[in-house]
Amino acid sequence: MTETLSTPAPLGAPPPRDVLLEVRNLRTSFRVLDGVVPAVDGISFSLRRGQTLGIVGESGSGKSVTALTIMRLIDIPPGVIGEGSEVWFDGQELLSIPLGKMRRIRGNDIAMIFQEPLTSLNPVFTIGDQIAEQVQLHLKVSKKEAWDRAIEAIRLVGIPSPERRVKQYPHEMSGGMRQRVMIAMGISCEPKLLIADEPTTALDVTIQAQILELLKTIQQRTRSALLLITHDLGVVAEMVDNVIVMYTGQIVEQGTVDQVLLQPRAPYTMGLIESIPTVEKRGGRLSVITGVVPSPFNLPPACRFEPRCPYRWDLCRRVEPDLYPAGAAGQLARCHLHTPEGEGRRQPALEAHKVNMTAGRAFGKSR
Amino acid sequence: MTKYVVRRVAQAIPVLFGVTIITYLILALAPGGPESRFANNPRITNEVRERFLKAWGLDQPWPVQYCRWMGFCNPDVENPVVSDAPILDHVPNPAALLGPSGWPNFLPEPISGSSNGVLHGDFGFSVQSGQYVSNMIARAALPTFILAAFALVIWIGIAVLMGVYAAIHRYSFFDQAATVFAYVGFAMPTFWLGIMLIFIFAGPGLNILPAGGMTNTRLSPPFGSEAYWAYFGREPVEAVLDIGKHLILPVFTLVVVNIAGDSRFVRASMLEALNQDYVRTAKAKGLPGRAVTFKHALRNAMLPVLTNIGLEIPFLFTGAIVTETIFSWPGIGNLTIDATRNFDYPVLMGVLLISSTVVVLANLLADVAYAFVDPRIKY
Repeated sequence: MTETLSTPAPLGAPPPRDVLLEVRNLRTSFRVLDGVVPAVDGISFSLRRGQTLGIVGESGSGKSVTALTIMRLIDIPPGVIGEGSEVWFDGQELLSIPLGKMRRIRGNDIAMIFQEPLTSLNPVFTIGDQIAEQVQLHLKVSKKEAWDRAIEAIRLVGIPSPERRVKQYPHEMSGGMRQRVMIAMGISCEPKLLIADEPTTALDVTIQAQILELLKTIQQRTRSALLLITHDLGVVAEMVDNVIVMYTGQIVEQGTVDQVLLQPRAPYTMGLIESIPTVEKRGGRLSVITGVVPSPFNLPPACRFEPRCPYRWDLCRRVEPDLYPAGAAGQLARCHLHTPEGEGRRQPALEAHKVNMTAGRAFGKSR
Repeated sequence: MTKYVVRRVAQAIPVLFGVTIITYLILALAPGGPESRFANNPRITNEVRERFLKAWGLDQPWPVQYCRWMGFCNPDVENPVVSDAPILDHVPNPAALLGPSGWPNFLPEPISGSSNGVLHGDFGFSVQSGQYVSNMIARAALPTFILAAFALVIWIGIAVLMGVYAAIHRYSFFDQAATVFAYVGFAMPTFWLGIMLIFIFAGPGLNILPAGGMTNTRLSPPFGSEAYWAYFGREPVEAVLDIGKHLILPVFTLVVVNIAGDSRFVRASMLEALNQDYVRTAKAKGLPGRAVTFKHALRNAMLPVLTNIGLEIPFLFTGAIVTETIFSWPGIGNLTIDATRNFDYPVLMGVLLISSTVVVLANLLADVAYAFVDPRIKY
């Protein structure tokens, strides 16, 4: 668990072989009537083969756009991919390859599971059709064999009587079943990377646990890497090795799941974790991060979290913070507290966070 | 499914009854009546007028007229015909199930004791021409069907292609041009377009197409007559070409004015489908653009379009009144206008009743077809 995120290699050169996905300085913005909205603003991270990475952040922080950009599912226009953005996957730079080549990767090497299983499945085709279509496309097998593989994939995700289920339409299944179908579709071509964009958000709580358990089992069995996008810190705690926390399109903190959840170093992450209701805190008021997420048209001049930050000082309004090494090895936080200028304020801030958290709580994997 | 269809047909019966009552009431309450055709004729004395009213039963209050028209009661009030023939003897005879003009007879004479009225398959006579209304409608139906079928197939075909292409290439030059065309088509009155087309193509300048009618009456007997069919048998190619030539302008008129709305509808429906999550899923599966558009999006986009087409089917029968009138097309639309002008109420009622029946049936057909293409619909 002490493993750290590898530092991105210099632009242009492919990353080492054991790095499956490396995103470098990714910037995606959208041209709208009022101007340009930067949805993802210069993020870099990497993911090794077979590993799991969680991206957390609230709505609009750029998590989904990051995933869609990796898949090249952003419509251009209105989307704009910033110059110097690179997405290295398995030795190839995805943003620069022709679309035809990208299509051979989509669904085959990288599969994506979406948030809304009801609307993400086509209502007029049977689920067997929809899975077999993908299998036939990528694995170049006969219709019959594709169909058999679809049945196998459905069996693998724990849907009873798959032979009967493949002939059903999405509307004939419950929400949890549909998400299982989406996962079956995702793993049907044995991808190297599975991207799950809020896979449990649309499901009710009991089903959520089942789906997460399934994702975990599947990921371990197929040894594919998993990029899990969620706004739920509880999900992250159970599912991933490493975590990225995003705010207004930037990474504000990254590290292993234990580092980020147990010893957060960026004030935004601290605030997020303090605001989780717990059994111990019952009866008290919920802690909140004051203020609101700034409008993308009117971002604070330097640190984007500054207006809401309890630990801010004048430097935060003048100089934009970078990602600095903070806390344990490999952990990075976007905050001036972790620069020499913030030296004196760092300890009091960490103490304050400790006080805000009640003893004995949080993210042991004991749930 | 069968149960559903039976239920819907059963539901249609009260609807159609309601339609007959309302349309009959409207005509009865409207000023004037079949006798108004004599209003400007100085030779018609009051006495003649009274006789006319009595002969057509127009001196009775409207509920009585309605019941007689429907065939609920015997029109010959003074000498009612009461049949004493045993019912069972007559029922197996198929001829008893057809009215005098060959239309279905729902109340055979042995049961009801009378033989005229709509329920006996008898729509009455035209006040104007004295012919059976049912025969007049049957004769006008074929020309209307020919015109409407050509127009409908062409305009729906073009509208679907145009709408889908415009949606895929949204905001492209083609899309913008299609939008302008749609607005112009919407805004252009049918009669104006028709007259302009006649002016351009049939006027003294070009004079390459006939200005109206369905056949060239100098070459052939009037359409629909026995002599015409004999001619058709002799010269099939010439006859078809002749009708084709007469079809061009009215079909073009109908296509232009109707394409506008439908192509916008298809475009909107296709755009909506293209923005759905399952289209994104299809792309994420690595499908090529064609498969995404024409398999995943189009199939869904066509569902509402199909309903719309179902609702346009009655047009095949009811016809286009304005277009048929401008081009003197001998169809239902023309018949309707003639009947209205001449206060020919029996013809008007016949057309209205049959049109409503077709509308009800087309709705049913659209709903049934929907169940076949959309797996979510079950009856």
